[in-house]
Amino acid sequence: MGRRLSGLAVNLSLLALFLMLHPLSGSSPNSNPPDERASPQDPVLLRIGTTDLVQSANILLDANLSLFAHVSNPTLMKMNQEIEPEGQLVEAIEASADLKTWTLTLKDDLFWSDGLPVTSADVRFTLTYLRDKFPAAGWIKNTVSEISIVDRHTVVIRINRPYGRLDFEFTTYPLLPQHVWETIENPLRHTNPGRIIGCGPFIIDRTDLNRGVVAMVRNPHWKGPESQIDVVEIHLYKNRDVLALALEREDIDIFYEYASSYPYVNLDRLRGSGRFEFLEQLNLGLYFLGFNLKKPPMSDPKFRRAVALALDHEEILRLILLDNGRKPQLGFIPPSMPAFKPTRECALDRKEAARMLDEAGCRDRNRDGLRELGGGKDLRLTLLVDPHKPFNARLSELVEEYLRAVGLRVSIKAVEGSSWVSLKDRYSYDLVISRTSPWGMLMHASWATGYFDARRTGEGVLHTVDDPKFLALCDDLLAETDPGRFRSLAHRVQDYYAENLPAVALLWNKIITPYNQDFYGWELDPLYGLFNIDTLLSVRRKQP
Amino acid sequence: MKKSLRYLIALFVIFTLNFFIPRAMPGDPLANLLGEDYVIDEASLADLRAELGLDRPLPVQFLRYWSEILRLDLGYSFRFHDRVTHVIGARLPWTLLLVGSSILLGACMGTLLGAFSGWSRASLKNRTGTVLFLSVYSMPPFFLSLLLLYVFAFRLGWFPLKGVYASGEWTDILRHFFLPVMSLTLYLAARYYLIMRGSVIQERDKAYVLYARAKGLFGRRILFRHVFKNASLPIVTLIALDFGFIFSGALFVEIVFSMNGLGTLIYDALLARDYPVLQGIFLIITVMVVVANAAADAVYPLIDPRVRKGV
Repeated sequence: MGRRLSGLAVNLSLLALFLMLHPLSGSSPNSNPPDERASPQDPVLLRIGTTDLVQSANILLDANLSLFAHVSNPTLMKMNQEIEPEGQLVEAIEASADLKTWTLTLKDDLFWSDGLPVTSADVRFTLTYLRDKFPAAGWIKNTVSEISIVDRHTVVIRINRPYGRLDFEFTTYPLLPQHVWETIENPLRHTNPGRIIGCGPFIIDRTDLNRGVVAMVRNPHWKGPESQIDVVEIHLYKNRDVLALALEREDIDIFYEYASSYPYVNLDRLRGSGRFEFLEQLNLGLYFLGFNLKKPPMSDPKFRRAVALALDHEEILRLILLDNGRKPQLGFIPPSMPAFKPTRECALDRKEAARMLDEAGCRDRNRDGLRELGGGKDLRLTLLVDPHKPFNARLSELVEEYLRAVGLRVSIKAVEGSSWVSLKDRYSYDLVISRTSPWGMLMHASWATGYFDARRTGEGVLHTVDDPKFLALCDDLLAETDPGRFRSLAHRVQDYYAENLPAVALLWNKIITPYNQDFYGWELDPLYGLFNIDTLLSVRRKQP
Repeated sequence: MKKSLRYLIALFVIFTLNFFIPRAMPGDPLANLLGEDYVIDEASLADLRAELGLDRPLPVQFLRYWSEILRLDLGYSFRFHDRVTHVIGARLPWTLLLVGSSILLGACMGTLLGAFSGWSRASLKNRTGTVLFLSVYSMPPFFLSLLLLYVFAFRLGWFPLKGVYASGEWTDILRHFFLPVMSLTLYLAARYYLIMRGSVIQERDKAYVLYARAKGLFGRRILFRHVFKNASLPIVTLIALDFGFIFSGALFVEIVFSMNGLGTLIYDALLARDYPVLQGIFLIITVMVVVANAAADAVYPLIDPRVRKGV
């Protein structure tokens, strides 16, 4: 018996080994049995695969579920292709000349999924509810003085200071049905894994974290353009590699991650299969190297310029993005943003970098190949990075290598997100690698000002620039409504970045989204990429 | 009585550490509560801190922690927006299914094959088996999981790529659990195999084995009637310890197969500094390890008369 059993173990192991080698022979990975494939009579199912993991069934406070809930509980405004806010649930929005009174008129064909009409009372309730109970909407408390209902579709918002960007704010908060949410005393202690009442074309039917699926069905009371899709399933994967396999195996129809591309290394494999097509857009956000402007020598613009000159952006583009992006410019803001102003391209010049470092007082006094500060004290820079985010680990290694080449000693401090935020907020770093998200580029006075304005706080916010010139630019942008002057202020912000370098852009990357060619008619949203209401209304499945 | 007191003291010390260790970590639990795109001002943060009881002095939080434990209340998770008992309760059955069946299968497979391997003379099959188990043991669990997933789920399409179920029927659950359980089972079996093999090799040349042979017993009978019990003592200890360790091992399997279990819950709670969830899970792991060790203590005398007689 013993021999037989150990023989069986060996045979099983050999079989396993054979099966592991078997795939190299090139058998098809598409293994869905024919009876699982859709027939024309089946409901049209769109399966989206993502690693934006939902952790709790709370559409307000779970960062990723709130992202998906944009199609069930849409925002009042949305960002159009020109990256300007336009009405989504509102038909018209008007601001008074002093920018202190805003009038919103709701579309009159909106209904909640339980049949009740969407009214201005829901708008007032949502803003009041968010003001009182949603931590990230604290600004409403300090800004909005009155919300009054004029009629069933019109609401007037009075604010206590001129604020030209209120319509931008309305592109992020979901509209909540008063008759449901007024019973939810504390959103921090609320989850609903079942059907969620919404007014978008689709509503969340269930959030099943064990199955790893957020399922959406059509809103039966949606009066807008009809979607050809019947059911949307968002499949949650904890591993990007497995998500890539799921796409190849056609377990899902499309890859989606907020502000992120499909892994560039896997693109060729998908292209080779001939079963996928690709949507490309230059990211609104970017990866950057920030400086702690409160500490010397980073507070010296010459030092920052020297660091910018020491970075080999061409190599970064080649190694990290596999050429799926563009070489950044000193003006920081990528051309995908409106009012982009071309500035000088970031270019490697080690000789000039060394000269500027000398000028900034960072010299190699003891000839050991590494630079010292004025009094002969060793210059040791700490580069703070969260290596769990895509590209960050490799970027930090490259930056360390580039700076060492000009005599700067850098030690990488790799910490997870929570510690990263704490250290960043305490200014316990010299250099920092981070990214801006599409919404982050537009928040505050736009053009990434929200990341640098020293008067702000927040998760990814560096709040390092307290230069009155920059702060005045931010305030002017916030209060400006004339498009011409607005554009000119945006250009001045980019000039400011190019001149003062509060941060250096490292990557301007493309977001590449592969999708199964059985579907067509995708729409790209500048903020949310492929997952948006327009896509769900326009996408079609080819007839078998 | 003495033993019970020892376990109670161990529980008290570990529960106390469970409170202090998460708080000793750098980072603020509210630092990235809402995701990268949200900006929370200082006033709202202070309100939130007060709401979650994080503004109170540490001793006050500690007393509250103990009063909650004594009331069997694990508190509220500000990351998962639910009671900690619900958050853990939703994942615990799946983790127990994964870990429990893997330990059981791994222990049976590893100890039996290890015993045979240790008992048999060196042969090609024996050596191949040992090399294979050694290879599996040397592989990181996530790599083994990825390999199995790639071959059996992706290439052959026999199993799903993710989740703990699709329809919820038991056959569907079995299909979803097959590969994750296999990954952990193989890993554990390799461990038990190597230990059991070494243990049997040590036992087989002892005098009592020679006596059994002289008595006229056959090889397999000696192995199972006399050697197996003596050689399996380290395995019993290992199984008891594995109940704690295996949650971290399960983490990688859960990530590869996108399963909703306690391993990933620990990881997510650690990243988010979700103190109540961390405390809750550590508490459960502590209780499981202590219970498993108590069970091992109870089993020893049954296997080994020397323990029973205090020799």
